[in-house]
Amino acid sequence: MREEYLLAALRMGAGADPVPEGVSAAARAVFGLRVPGGVPAGPVDVTVPPGARSRPDTGTAQTGVRRFSAGGLVIDIETAVVGERMEVAGQVSPAPGPDARIEVRTPHIGKVRAPSASGHFAVAGLPPGWVSVVCHRPGHPPVFTRWVHVRP
Amino acid sequence: MSADDSFTIIDQATWEDLVARFDGRMWAVARAFGLSTADAADAVQGAWLRLVENADAIRDPERIGAWLVTTTRHEAARVGRRARGEIVADLDLPDTALPDPTAAVVDADFGRRVWRRLDLLGEPCRSLIRLYVLHPEARYAQIAVRLDLPVGSIGPTRARCMARLRALVEEEVR
Repeated sequence: MREEYLLAALRMGAGADPVPEGVSAAARAVFGLRVPGGVPAGPVDVTVPPGARSRPDTGTAQTGVRRFSAGGLVIDIETAVVGERMEVAGQVSPAPGPDARIEVRTPHIGKVRAPSASGHFAVAGLPPGWVSVVCHRPGHPPVFTRWVHVRP
Repeated sequence: MSADDSFTIIDQATWEDLVARFDGRMWAVARAFGLSTADAADAVQGAWLRLVENADAIRDPERIGAWLVTTTRHEAARVGRRARGEIVADLDLPDTALPDPTAAVVDADFGRRVWRRLDLLGEPCRSLIRLYVLHPEARYAQIAVRLDLPVGSIGPTRARCMARLRALVEEEVR
């Protein structure tokens, strides 16, 4: 029997520290974040050094490149927290074309960008926390990355 | 299978029922890791997001509860390590096909039975575990002051007390 489960049962038995309503509301809202018909892009181990977003001298918290792949599409994302806000930049390979749209989502807000000719995209001003990227291409099902946790 | 297909077994009403039944257990597990309320909220939300992205890996709806509790434990451990400044690999994922069957003990009724077993332990175990359970963010130094024990003894004493409690509980459930 795991110690954490025993402690959790004791906490529930004591009736102390009930789950905050905000946590329950956030859990209910997650249902709306599913991607109907979408294809999940699984994580790929990659050893790519942080790129242009790496600014250790400024105290920027950055986490390096994460790579996801599905159906021949590769999505690289790199995150940083600057001040209280999260920035997300990345690249879709092969470049998905001018009609594609890249959606960068947090549980609270999503922002849509048209990728560059080389498949690059960038979004700033997001709340830190969980983030996922969805690539929408005409004639293809959307491809979404798994959710990534980003905190300063 | 697409995400759309996999969600045919989980509609909005089913999802809200899952939240009502399991969010308290998930919260208790996250807090049992000593996480702050903000970090525990992140861990619980992370487990729900994993359900969204892994729904096709869960064939048996009856096992979703155990899967959610197991996944919360993984996410809480990961958030806790990151909060301590450790490097955490995002690729380190729980096996979605294998929810931990012992997650079923995370239950208020079972917890009340464990409290009764806790009363069988002498001091300082009883007070130490009580403090640890009710104040998950308390540091060893704070517990040492409250119990008038050397701070260096809190970790080993706690481990010994939890082992004794676990043995008492397992004796009961056998």
